[in-house]
Amino acid sequence: MIDLKFDGVSKKYRIRREAGRAVSSSKSGRFRNFARNYEEFWAVKNVSFQVTRGETLGIIGPNGAGKSTVLKLLSKITVPTSGEITINGRLSALIEVGSGFHPELTGRENIYLSGSILGMRRREITERLDSIIEFAGVRGFIDTPVKRYSSGMYVRLGFSIAAHLQPDILLLDEVLAVGDAAFQAKCYERIRTLRERGTTIVFISHDLNAVEFLCDRALLLSSGEVAADGLTRDVIGQYEEIVYGASVRSEPKGRSNGTRKPIRITGLTFRDYQQREVLSACTGDPFIARVEFAASEPLRDLDFDVFYYSSDGRLHCQFSTSVGQYPLDLDRGDGVVQFSCPELGLQPGVYYADATIRRRTDGEQIDWQYRFALLRVEPGKRVSGRFYAPHRWRLTQPKDPVQFPPGFADSPSGWDESGVLERSNE
Amino acid sequence: MTFVEMAYRWISPSASNVVLPVDTRQVTIIRAPSFARFSLINSLTELAHYRDLLYTLTVHRIRVRYKQSVLGMSWAVVQPVSMMIVFTVVFSLIARVPSGDVPYAIFAYVGLLPWNFFSGSVTNSTGSLVSHAQLITKVYFPREILPITYVLAAVFDSLIASSVLAALMFYYRVPLTINALYTIPIVVVLALFSLSMGLLLSATQVRFRDIGMAVPLLLQLWMFATPILYPLSAVPAQLRDIYALNPLVSIIESFRQALLSETAPDLWSLAKSALISMMLLIASYSYFKRVEATMADKI
Repeated sequence: MIDLKFDGVSKKYRIRREAGRAVSSSKSGRFRNFARNYEEFWAVKNVSFQVTRGETLGIIGPNGAGKSTVLKLLSKITVPTSGEITINGRLSALIEVGSGFHPELTGRENIYLSGSILGMRRREITERLDSIIEFAGVRGFIDTPVKRYSSGMYVRLGFSIAAHLQPDILLLDEVLAVGDAAFQAKCYERIRTLRERGTTIVFISHDLNAVEFLCDRALLLSSGEVAADGLTRDVIGQYEEIVYGASVRSEPKGRSNGTRKPIRITGLTFRDYQQREVLSACTGDPFIARVEFAASEPLRDLDFDVFYYSSDGRLHCQFSTSVGQYPLDLDRGDGVVQFSCPELGLQPGVYYADATIRRRTDGEQIDWQYRFALLRVEPGKRVSGRFYAPHRWRLTQPKDPVQFPPGFADSPSGWDESGVLERSNE
Repeated sequence: MTFVEMAYRWISPSASNVVLPVDTRQVTIIRAPSFARFSLINSLTELAHYRDLLYTLTVHRIRVRYKQSVLGMSWAVVQPVSMMIVFTVVFSLIARVPSGDVPYAIFAYVGLLPWNFFSGSVTNSTGSLVSHAQLITKVYFPREILPITYVLAAVFDSLIASSVLAALMFYYRVPLTINALYTIPIVVVLALFSLSMGLLLSATQVRFRDIGMAVPLLLQLWMFATPILYPLSAVPAQLRDIYALNPLVSIIESFRQALLSETAPDLWSLAKSALISMMLLIASYSYFKRVEATMADKI
C-alpha cells in the first residue's frame, strides 16, 4: 500500500532581485521592474518517490538541496509547479514546535488553538488533554498565559500537542532537537510508538544519527534532485562522501610551506585484517593504517602520527609512533609506516584523517597532510558510548566452575591470543 | 488481482469472494494550481472539515482582543458610542442634518452599527494573512479561515454594541416593530459582502502591501459615500442611480428602516444586494483559492 507518492514533482521559485542600482525614476520603469526583475530557481526538479504504509523514510541532503521545499509540498503549504503528489490518509506535519501559540492565552487555551491548527478535532483534544499536559509536564501552569512560560516549558507543550496527533502519515522536521536529554528521549519513544502502530513517517533532518536511528529507508536530495534512494546506511554513506569527500584531498595544506621538504607524506591508506585496502572499517575489527612517505635524504629522530577527526572537527583518536621508546631513523627513499590496531575503537561515523611527520626533539612539523583521507566507520561491535574499548569477559559461577583452557585468559599471553589474531589466521 | 487477494484465495480457496478490508482513508492529490480546477464544493467541504479550527480561532480572536485590558468587552461599546457622540454634536448641533422622525443620536447609531461591523471586519481580515505569515509558512489549513474568523468576531462585537442601541431606543421611546426581524437577513448579506471584500483584499495584500495602506483611506471615503450620517433622501435625485451602485447603500438603509420605521424595508433592493454580494463572494473566493496555492512562497 502506497501512502505517499511524488510523481515527477518540480517546484519553481521566482526570486525577485532587489535592485541595488538606481532604478529608472519614471513610474512606468518602476512598474516594469516590479513585474520583470526576477530570476527563476528550481528548488525541486522532477522528484519521484514512494513511501509504503508503515515505512519510515528519512530525507537528507545538504543545505539548499530542496528538503524544506519537499516538506512544504508534502504538507500542502505550497503547491508544485508541475507533477503530482498523492497522499493516502490523514497527514500531520510536526514542523515547528509552538506554531500557533498565542502568548496571551493560557496553556489550556493554547492546547486547543494549536491542536486545531494542526488538524485535531476539539473532541479529540479534550480526550487527550490530560495526557498532553502530563507529557509536557506543565500541570501546575496550565492556566497561566504561555508568555509567562520558560522557553523549555513552551517547547515541551508544543511538542506534546503535536505528539498527540494520531495521523496516518507524520511529517517530522528538525523539531527533535529541542528540550533536554530526558525530554528528547521521551520524544523518540513517542515516535517509536507511532511507528510500531503502523504510522508512515517522513523525517527530514540534518541529524544523520537520528535518521539512522529512526529510518528504514533514506532519500538523498542534492540540488533539488534525488541523488540516492535506498537503505538508510548506504544513503548516509553516499551523503557523507558527497559532503566530506569533497573536502578531502582537495587542498592538502602543509604547514611547513618550504619549497623542498626533506620528507613528504605521499599516501595514507587503510587496510583490514586481510591486508585488503578499504575505505571503511567496522568498530571493534582489526584495522591497519599505512602512512607512505618519500624521503629525499636520510633523517633521524622522527615520529609519525595519524589523527582522526569527526565531521564536526573534533579530534577523536591518534595513532602515533611517539608512544614508543625510540624515534624512527630513516634512510633515503620511499617507505611505509604501518599502524596496526587489533580492535578499532572509533564509533560509527565519518572521520577525516591527518597524517604528520615531526621531529621528536623539537616537535617541528616536517610534513602535515591536512584532511588527507576519509574513513567511514560502520557499526561492528555495537556498544554505546564515545568509543569502543577492547574487552574480554569470563563467566564464573561458584556452583559450576568453568574450566578454561590453560593459559587462556588468565595469563598475560591470553590477550595476545585473543579472537583478533585467530581471526586473522582464518 | 493484488498480491493480497491472491494470498487470501490461496489460504481459503472456498471463500473466493472474500471481502478485503476496504481502505477508508481519504486520498488527497496535490497538483499545480489552475483556475479551471477551482471547485466551490471541494473548498467548502474542506472548510467544513476544519470547522473546529474556525470555531477555536474565532473564540480566540474575541478572547485575545480583550485580554489584559481593564475595560474588557466594553471596548466594543465605547468605540461606536464615542463616534455617535462626536457625529451627533457635529451633524445635529452644528450642521443640522435631517434625521426624520427619530433623534439624530439614534439615527446615527443605527447607521454606525452596521458600518462599524463592515469597516472592522474588512480592516482586520485584510491584514489577517500577512499578520499570520508565521503560521501560513508552517502549517496548512484552509487560509480563508483567517479572514472568516475576523468577520465572525466582528459579528460578536456588533452584538455587544447593539446593547447600547436597545438602551437608546428605550430612552428615546422608539417602538420596536416586527420589522426588526428583517435585520437578521440584512446582517447575513452584510457579512457576506464584508467577507467577499476581506477575501479579495487579504489575498491581494499578500503580494502587494500597498493594500494595507490603501484600505483605511478607502474605508474613509466609502463611509461618506454611504447613508450613515445623513439620510438617503438627502442625496440629490439625479445622483441616486450612481449612488445606489454601492451595495452598502441599500444594506444600511434597509437596516435603519427595519429598526426605526413602521414600513418594511425595500425587499427588491435588498435582494439585489444579496445577489451582488453572493456573486462577489464566489468570485473573490475563487481568486483567494488561486492565490492560496502559492501564498506561502510570496508572503
